Amino acid sequence: MLPSLPGGSQKGIQSMHDETMASGVYLPELDVIPARDTTEVHRLRFHGNASDYFRIWIVNVALSLVTLGIYSAWATVRTRRYMYSNTTLGGSPFDYLARPLPILKGRLLTVLIFAIYAFAGRIVAPLQAVAALMVAGFMPWLIVKSMMFRARYSSWRGLRFYFSDDYAGAYKWYLGVYFLMGLPFLLFSITAIAGHPGLGALFAFAGLTGIYPWIKGHQQEWMVENHHFGGKSFHFDSAIGNYYSVYIKAAGVALVWFLPCFALVSAVTALITKGNPQAFNPRMPSPYFILAVYAVMAPAYLGVWTFVHTRMTNLLYNQAQLGQYRFRSTLAYWPMLGLYLGNALAVLFTIGLALPWARVRTARYRAEHLEVLGDGDLSDFVRDAFAHGDIGATATEMDSLLGIDIGL
Amino acid sequence: MVPAIYFDGRSTHATRVDAWRDENVLRWRCANDAQEWSAPWTAIEPSARVIGVPFTLHLEDGAHLQIDHDALPADWFPRHHLIERMVDWLERRWMAALAGIVVVVVSLLGLFEYGLPWAADRIATHMPASVENAMGKQSLAALEGRLLMPTTLPSDRQSHLQSVFRHFVDGVQGAPNVRLGFYQAKAIGANAFALPGGTIVFTDELAEAVPDDAAFIAVIAHELGHQAGHHMLRQVLRSSGVFIVAGLLMGDVTSMGGVAAGIPMFLVDSHYSRGFEENADGFAFRALAGQGIDPEAFVHAMQALERAHPELKGQELRYAASHPLTAERIARAHAASLQFQAAKATVDARPGR
Repeated sequence: MLPSLPGGSQKGIQSMHDETMASGVYLPELDVIPARDTTEVHRLRFHGNASDYFRIWIVNVALSLVTLGIYSAWATVRTRRYMYSNTTLGGSPFDYLARPLPILKGRLLTVLIFAIYAFAGRIVAPLQAVAALMVAGFMPWLIVKSMMFRARYSSWRGLRFYFSDDYAGAYKWYLGVYFLMGLPFLLFSITAIAGHPGLGALFAFAGLTGIYPWIKGHQQEWMVENHHFGGKSFHFDSAIGNYYSVYIKAAGVALVWFLPCFALVSAVTALITKGNPQAFNPRMPSPYFILAVYAVMAPAYLGVWTFVHTRMTNLLYNQAQLGQYRFRSTLAYWPMLGLYLGNALAVLFTIGLALPWARVRTARYRAEHLEVLGDGDLSDFVRDAFAHGDIGATATEMDSLLGIDIGL
Repeated sequence: MVPAIYFDGRSTHATRVDAWRDENVLRWRCANDAQEWSAPWTAIEPSARVIGVPFTLHLEDGAHLQIDHDALPADWFPRHHLIERMVDWLERRWMAALAGIVVVVVSLLGLFEYGLPWAADRIATHMPASVENAMGKQSLAALEGRLLMPTTLPSDRQSHLQSVFRHFVDGVQGAPNVRLGFYQAKAIGANAFALPGGTIVFTDELAEAVPDDAAFIAVIAHELGHQAGHHMLRQVLRSSGVFIVAGLLMGDVTSMGGVAAGIPMFLVDSHYSRGFEENADGFAFRALAGQGIDPEAFVHAMQALERAHPELKGQELRYAASHPLTAERIARAHAASLQFQAAKATVDARPGR
């Protein structure tokens, strides 16, 4: 999952979209779909409202705190059920079916692991490095387990989603390929030693821009094609060029956002330092200065992040296919940025009380901009033959705490 | 008769049905009466009540009936989900929501003010000394050669201060096992700090800035207070706790949400360290008075520190940001000094009587 907004406002709906997206089609599509010109459009709708959700949320947060976190698992289930069940496709709600107890167990285990990790570095720094390496080694496994959990406990019209346990693929696309990122650095070192550091830097940059979108594209493909629903598995028509275009544009957007912000910060710093040469101590910058840098840089970061997030989400749905059904995601940059910026400010200025409102409006916007297209009435999915065993919640709890970049 | 939608669990086909209760059997049939189904009442697993969320009656074979939120008769499943029924009752009331806000604020304050420090301190007391020593070694290793360079103090000055230090520490009751290390630290400037496990780092710059041995001892007494209270270990445990709790509350720790959570975390952390500073000051005043040194020496040490850091003049935060030289702190030192002098006066006066 990409870094979330202040307060992780899109978190709830994002995991829900995993499932809507996951309406994958199993059975490699051998049957030729008869071309028809009557394509039905099935819209997703979100029926929740902020005032109901606010009451649910605050009561559950309060109960979680009073019970020292024990109730938090039940709270999670209730709030998620509200978000899921208020999202409908073809008039039928999605359903969140996870049980609180496995979530509680996973959460306790996560807290324990996290506490050990947070404390280890203070005693022996290498221990933390070892722990970080271990987490990195487990990350692909964690991603698979987490996706399996989410899919397993999400259903629509009585059928559950399914995510195949493709650990090899996960290790390939979420760990192995990152070693390729080392290649440009290697190239850089070689050319630098040979006496052409400038050329090396150019090579390294070209290498990185060449590899990163390719990785991201394949990660999406892997993610989508391992989802199954209703006896069918997902198909993903990816055109890798799309990812290059997204990231090249993102670089442009980053330039446009960060240059003025950087200029502003340096101008203000220069102004302050000019008046009083002692005021600014780079060794010990005043907290006001740090705060000011955050205040200026956060919107810029949000601007770039939203661009990538919006475009990548659109690509994810628009290239996915389930049986005769396709998806159309029409998230737009400026409305999304306005949405997220409004959410961030509202959450910040209400010390978190606006969080339910932020989640509801995000969910509504996202549901309104996702459609399922196809010439059926969505009633032709059947239960798949996959094993429907229970899946532990630890991975999904760790994933939501660490905010792993799953990119959905 | 209750309108419902039936899903057989084998396909996504939706069937509109009417359901009713027939003694211990749930029956439902198609709107056009073409087909009828039934299930024993005890085999049905209803979902819990949530505002605006339809009820799902799960049947044994994976099928389910979906009934609109307001359409489920109240007497159908009166004994299911008793706790969530109460939660649902609360969730429907704005009064409960307002009470919820109060509860959240109060319990967060309680958690950070009492709960977390209490838990961290319990863990700290059970932490073996070797952990604390390892922490101290780790921090010293990280600083040595980077920020802390070998001392350039003349060896006679060093041995004089060491002997003053030893003499003072030996006289303090319940003093922990401590070492004093001098370091040249141009980047830090005049400063002194305690590392976990008993090491007190004293910079050359501060050693040159202190006006007399009493002021030197005052700084040592303050750091000794940190050592005696195991403040470094407790601070680390507390801030780890704050990090974890904030991470759980915000939902994740690596994102912008985490950055936003950093601000309150910073505030809570400095709130804790302020408490430790006060505690160490109190320890210092008592230790100084216990050895017949006027706590006013502490004020002199603070003033020397301020002179050594002219760039901090006029700023709110001083002494490496964690040692705010507030008027309050000076006032407490003055008060301790007055108390000391009064006590001394009575002691001095006694033989005369």
